[in-house]
Amino acid sequence: MHEMGIANSILEAVRTEAAAHAPARATKVGVKIGEMAGVEPSSLAFCFEVLVKGSDLEPLELEIRPGTADELAFAYLELEEPELEGS
Amino acid sequence: MTRVPMEGKVLNENQQVAAELRAEFARHGVLALNLISSPGSGKTALLERTLERFAPERRVAVLTGDIQTDADAARLAKYGFPVRQICTAGACHLDARMVRRALEGWDLATIDLLFIENVGNLVCPTSYDLGEAKKIVLLSVTEGEEKPLKYPGIFFKAELMLLNKIDLLPYVPFRVETAVENARSIHPEIQVLQLSCQTGVGLDGWLEWVDAQAAAGLNIGQQNIQ
Repeated sequence: MHEMGIANSILEAVRTEAAAHAPARATKVGVKIGEMAGVEPSSLAFCFEVLVKGSDLEPLELEIRPGTADELAFAYLELEEPELEGS
Repeated sequence: MTRVPMEGKVLNENQQVAAELRAEFARHGVLALNLISSPGSGKTALLERTLERFAPERRVAVLTGDIQTDADAARLAKYGFPVRQICTAGACHLDARMVRRALEGWDLATIDLLFIENVGNLVCPTSYDLGEAKKIVLLSVTEGEEKPLKYPGIFFKAELMLLNKIDLLPYVPFRVETAVENARSIHPEIQVLQLSCQTGVGLDGWLEWVDAQAAAGLNIGQQNIQ
């Protein structure tokens, strides 16, 4: 069950990337997983959900896209600008 | 909402440490081989048979990974070569950081060949680059010939498949041709060697393979640095 470690690596990378876009918040991350990557998408999705729940990143979403061969890489990050006060 | 492209591998941190290790191995001319299989396929037995055949002056070292116990290091230390146990304390695979830590204090300039025995697991070790020159997958004939299809990742990434325990072929319904076909349907170029660590048959071929990699060692390291 290394999906927990992988989910954790995703969250750490999202934190770093989102910090570069502050004050926007990360809302969704896209990850590409190839068939030969040795990563089970449903298991990763489950671990991701568990780790996000109650964390500073909640309610971050994960989209898993098919990747090529043993690819295990990021695709994109979706960010939301904070709503202006009083608007 | 804005969407920004995000670059890089998910295990980027591991990848970076692995790249540093690979550069280090190349600099010192160390051939690092990462042995991966299910629990009980014979990784430790293979290393025992390998080490006992090496001359005492052979510059070989072993890192052996397990979730618990240093039983494997104890088994392997008998042969007089440097051996260290990596205890992952729960983790189902070795990662590059664990390897780097385990190598601390070893002078790589005195090592030509480093075997890294991964935690027994056909899935998780696949994702973690350890800076090795080659991954080697062991499959024992008691496990069934469909393993490459069930666990394609490791057979895709391994350069060599070692079919172990072939002394048991008369007693188990295992077809070597089917296993090889299955592995090649995933990875057409995978090399295959058959052996038995019990009878010793096939060990010469394995040792020749290791020597051939060692002879080409520096080139391998340099190719992989990029």
